[in-house]
Amino acid sequence: MTLPAASQPADAYAQLKSEFGSMTAASFQGRMAEYVASGTPIVAGTDDFFPELFTAMEVPFYFVVRQGLELAFHVGKGPEAVDGYNELGGSSSLCSLQKAAAYLLMKGRLPKPSAIVMTSTSCDGQTAVNEMMANYAPWSDVPKMSFDASFEKDEASMEYLGKQWMRFIPLVEKATGRKFDLDRLKEVCEESNRQTRLLFDFQELRRAVPSPVRAEWGFLAYMAARWSGCGRPLATAWLQRLFDTTERRVRDGKGIDGVEEKIRYAWFDILPCWSDQLFPRLERELGAVNLMDLYGYSAPWPVIDTSTLETIFTSFAKRFLIGNPMTRQIFALSTVYGGDAVHIAKNFKCDAILMPSHVGHKDGAASHRVVHDLFREIGVPFLVVGCDVFDERYMTSDVVFNKIEAFFDTSGLRR
Amino acid sequence: MSDSIRPAALKALLTAAASLRNPELDAWTSAGGRVIGYYCPFIPEELFLAGGFLPFRMRGTGSTDTDQADAFFDHLNCPFVRHSFDLALRGDYSFLQGLVVGTGCDHLRRIYDNALHAPLEASFVYLLDHPRTMGSEEEGAEPIVRYYREQLSKLKEALENHFGVAVTVPALRAAISLCNETRRLQRRLYDLSVAPAPKVSASERAAVMMAGASMPKERYNALLSEALKELETAPETPGKALARLMIVGPAIEDPAFYEVFEEQGAAIVVDDTCFGARTVQALVDEEAPDPLTALAKYQVVDMPFCPKIGGSHAHRLRFIQEMVARYRVDGVIAQGYVSCDAWGCSYALLREAMQEAGIPYLRVEREYIHSESGQLSTRIQAFLETTGGRG
Repeated sequence: MTLPAASQPADAYAQLKSEFGSMTAASFQGRMAEYVASGTPIVAGTDDFFPELFTAMEVPFYFVVRQGLELAFHVGKGPEAVDGYNELGGSSSLCSLQKAAAYLLMKGRLPKPSAIVMTSTSCDGQTAVNEMMANYAPWSDVPKMSFDASFEKDEASMEYLGKQWMRFIPLVEKATGRKFDLDRLKEVCEESNRQTRLLFDFQELRRAVPSPVRAEWGFLAYMAARWSGCGRPLATAWLQRLFDTTERRVRDGKGIDGVEEKIRYAWFDILPCWSDQLFPRLERELGAVNLMDLYGYSAPWPVIDTSTLETIFTSFAKRFLIGNPMTRQIFALSTVYGGDAVHIAKNFKCDAILMPSHVGHKDGAASHRVVHDLFREIGVPFLVVGCDVFDERYMTSDVVFNKIEAFFDTSGLRR
Repeated sequence: MSDSIRPAALKALLTAAASLRNPELDAWTSAGGRVIGYYCPFIPEELFLAGGFLPFRMRGTGSTDTDQADAFFDHLNCPFVRHSFDLALRGDYSFLQGLVVGTGCDHLRRIYDNALHAPLEASFVYLLDHPRTMGSEEEGAEPIVRYYREQLSKLKEALENHFGVAVTVPALRAAISLCNETRRLQRRLYDLSVAPAPKVSASERAAVMMAGASMPKERYNALLSEALKELETAPETPGKALARLMIVGPAIEDPAFYEVFEEQGAAIVVDDTCFGARTVQALVDEEAPDPLTALAKYQVVDMPFCPKIGGSHAHRLRFIQEMVARYRVDGVIAQGYVSCDAWGCSYALLREAMQEAGIPYLRVEREYIHSESGQLSTRIQAFLETTGGRG
């Protein structure tokens, strides 16, 4: 996501943001060009199923769909990649991020991995990208494993997925030449547990009125714990400082600097790539503060049980299916999706919930009635926006702003 | 063979597909028979048959709009899902005592949520967790087959508990045998299209296939057997089609879609659709020690898959290429709904494969109710020129 230029309340947040940038640059993702240049074996996958494993083995990993952000939308080439995908003859309604990733893949712009891991979550688009990866001719010689995720969430189902995933370890060892060490994995998992605990604690601080930070900080915290610094003490320390800084702000009763908080809302989807054009304007003109987004919301995360390799992988399955944002909501019943939104509305004292209903999220589009009725029961106004959170050409930020402004007016929230 | 001399049995099957209710279904329900609706060929109807139910594959036949369903689903959602759910909301599926939905795709599985929320009339609504990948060469499919077998077992228990029936092993074996017989007969139906001038049209064949999931299976097999006897011995139809086409994609329930091709002189001789040839290619193992495992294996490994199942592209491509060769296909039509990411994305890979194989390929996006004949006719005309009329 593009982060708003105006940083959070005080210099401490500017410092945290700067450190976050350094942490990202030093992460697997940030060093990808270096790995390619040095011929270091890389693993690719269609989601971050078990980032702890790659940290423990020091095997560079990249999340294919995320490359649509890093190599297209974040560098101003999103529309070009989306249009390029459309010319390949694929699904015109596919999520634009997945379109961008698929285009980069098919045009040979992604680093060739030494091994590929795929799992049947979380949406049809993800399965489609899996298929494109599995059948991309220049990668036909790359060993791949494709795993089945259960829709059920009972213990047996988690073991089912965990046991499948465990079988990826020998393949990674063979493909990369790196040795797997269970003790090291346990250490990384313990660190990861500390991180997800901090994610949750930080989230709980954000219940405060006025809100101490913008929603983007929830997303940054998620990225630090799961993408950039999973299982690394550096990221844990960063999360701790974020928590401490924010706790002080809450204790002092301080809201976001320069914002008179009048309306509290949650944007219950991915933060848009065009956040800069929307959220600062909502703050400035309406005093409307975004408290939460989909990735910034921690459910909380299940703890990794480090007793044995089996318990670790079963925990990974639990984390992915019931902790990981989006997978948790999409690959589950509508009542889970709606229930999380209701939880946010109630516990973060939201005046309204905005459901962006990103065009790629078909399951969400089929849940509106269930979610709408849940909100009617609790009396919190609820708006379905219907935008594309990556490609602004679908619905401009001006149109989205106007919709939200009118919604706040008709709901009697504008003060 | 002109319409006036069509076998009576064939006419009965065509009638059965033309609407949701049909005389055979009505006779079943009048006699107190129970009906379970289900979405998708991934859900084994053998399980319902073994419990004494009539399995009815959900369709949107007769739907004219989605006004009621649109309160639950968005315009981004699959039109088939919206049309069939709309009929259910209007009470057109009041003959169902149960509804089983699979977790196959993002659109379909939300039918379960919305069916409970609406709620629908059926007293038994069940979500079957079926696998979304075939596994990989390194991993194999065994764990997935085992998992699906457990899910089928849970569905079996749920049916038994809710309806007070027993789904026994002998009953499952009998149901597998009955359904295999249906598959064999349906394969013979497809074989009729190997001839230069197929003896049944694509719209007729599609209707017969749909009828197979809309009436008591024994009666269907008897009618189809009778129809085939007459069709197979009927004199060859003179002439030949301008081009022999294969159609790929989600189920086509509206015969008008096929007719646009036929009006242009093309014959759709085979397909890879959800009601079509894919579902009759393999048989369930009747000798397997555990019938539930046999059903799970059939669903996970043996039946060629639609693209919502990960790892299925290579299998599907092989199936399409086999059909192209067996039916001497001149061109492939890839059709589907705008909202269907699974099929839509697979077409980028299919287009590439067809180009490499030198097989003419046309992509068509459509709505559930066919309404764009003029535009489609023009595209088909242009496409037929590229096939060179090799039929």
